[in-house]
Amino acid sequence: MPGKVRETPLKNPDRDYLALGLEGSANKLGAGIMKHSKDGSATVLSNIRHTYITPPGEGFQPRDTAQHHREWALKVINDCLAKASVSMHDIDCICFTKGPGMGAPLQSVALVARTLSLLFHKPLVGVNHCVGHIEMGREITGAQNPVVLYVSGGNTQVIAYSRQRYRIFGETLDIAVGNCLDRFARIINLSNDPSPGYNIEQEAKKGKCLIPLPYATKGMDVSLSGILSAVEAYTLDKRFRAQGSLDGAPVEDIITAQDLCFSLQETVFAMLVEITERAMAHLGSKEVLIVGGVGSNERLQQMMGIMAQERNGQVFATDERFCIDNGIMIAQAGLLSYRMGYQTALSKTTCTQRFRTDEVHVAWRA
Amino acid sequence: MSSLSNAFPSSGVNVPGIRMVDSTAGVLGIEWIEGQSVRKLLPGGAAEDDGPEDVDDAALGVGVDGLVAPEPANTSTASSLNTYGLSIDELMRFIGIEIAKMHRIDVIHGDLTTSNMMLRHLESTSTAELILIDFGLSYQSTLTEDKAVDLYVLERAFSSTHPDSEPMFNSVLAAYADTMGKDWPAIKNRLDDVRLRGRKRSMVG
Repeated sequence: MPGKVRETPLKNPDRDYLALGLEGSANKLGAGIMKHSKDGSATVLSNIRHTYITPPGEGFQPRDTAQHHREWALKVINDCLAKASVSMHDIDCICFTKGPGMGAPLQSVALVARTLSLLFHKPLVGVNHCVGHIEMGREITGAQNPVVLYVSGGNTQVIAYSRQRYRIFGETLDIAVGNCLDRFARIINLSNDPSPGYNIEQEAKKGKCLIPLPYATKGMDVSLSGILSAVEAYTLDKRFRAQGSLDGAPVEDIITAQDLCFSLQETVFAMLVEITERAMAHLGSKEVLIVGGVGSNERLQQMMGIMAQERNGQVFATDERFCIDNGIMIAQAGLLSYRMGYQTALSKTTCTQRFRTDEVHVAWRA
Repeated sequence: MSSLSNAFPSSGVNVPGIRMVDSTAGVLGIEWIEGQSVRKLLPGGAAEDDGPEDVDDAALGVGVDGLVAPEPANTSTASSLNTYGLSIDELMRFIGIEIAKMHRIDVIHGDLTTSNMMLRHLESTSTAELILIDFGLSYQSTLTEDKAVDLYVLERAFSSTHPDSEPMFNSVLAAYADTMGKDWPAIKNRLDDVRLRGRKRSMVG
């Protein structure tokens, strides 16, 4: 409120708090331990992740991903505790991803959380995955009240905070940007190790020609599925060469896979920068925070940086440790709500594949 | 741009007048509007959401940029609007009418938000007029689809900026419907379709 000092509802803790965060909404299984100290600072004690990697040309199926999480849960959590040098008895609360995400992997991780809760008599906190990304990004970068671009394999949203909600300004109308990139990686048979998006980014650096692709913003929203179809159509074009020209010299009138990766990135990132800029202009905000797996793409960060610079603003981004799905962000968001007195009763620790960012009451912010 | 601005004078849409064009240098000089952004005149849109804030720092200053009186939001909103002699409902009618006038000449704004509208005092009649600004993303189209998306963009801007804005936006639509007349039912149907479009839910990630 203008003129009135907004007091943050979150008081500095009377003692140190520790939270274990468990994440498994997609193909990454993560566990992390977050410490909130008496002086109000937050420390990452450990952040362990194991990724389920499929062969080139294949995506991850819910059943196999859930099985991966079940197989690795004990090792990842043990590593996480050992790295942080804490025992389960020291933990104040166990935070887990309630949604959104793939049903089967979510359930297997929630089951682990419930089991630990009953074994060690620790309260549970269900966390919205998107809010986890935002809170971790704010904590790491120190951004105060940024416009958030949340871009990952399952979500593409432009978000701004207002009155204890993260409100969605614009989003994808169909597939997420990470999904769009991953699926194109599959089409041209790029490796899924370490991630298809990373390999697209490396290929794109070798691209030379900007191939025309549809540019589909609808108001503050974007549509990406048509672009994927269009870029896929180029791979069936008779000018397409998967390996580029044989001697490395540029040859007239061919389209290489590198060119397509480059053009796809340039086009979809330009769309994302545009809708982010609109939200910034409307809100008069000077800060933009990029979170989510695609947020680790340096070209996206660079393009966003140019836009922000032109507006005398600033970009905040994190590296793959905190951008790509991880356990620590769940611990961070969960511990914030736990300190506000929020817990999830055992009977309510269900998962949901559909859980919008704006459904969460952000009690810990003014 | 020039074709768009040429369309305005005869249609009566309130837009900033063009004062100077230098197409070789890429410079456009437009009229200065002595007024205020509609966003700042509505609840929730004032500078209160621009201020820095942090869980660790309760005593941070609030990013008021001098346009809004330093009072609680609701009273400052009401008093700012009062200086224009307008109620919120009347302002909403202004918005609806202005957009309808623009759509009747088949101009699509492309970025309708409450930031892209200004309110200016009319000295002659001691009332105010609403002015649409920032036509950088505008284009001409006769399609119902484009007009419906234009309205949808504004609806989203309302709901994400101004809390409890549903009645406000309904007054905008009511005034828009009155002005559009027989074209309204088709646009309304399309608007309902646009609202259902896309993923009103999150997916995996």
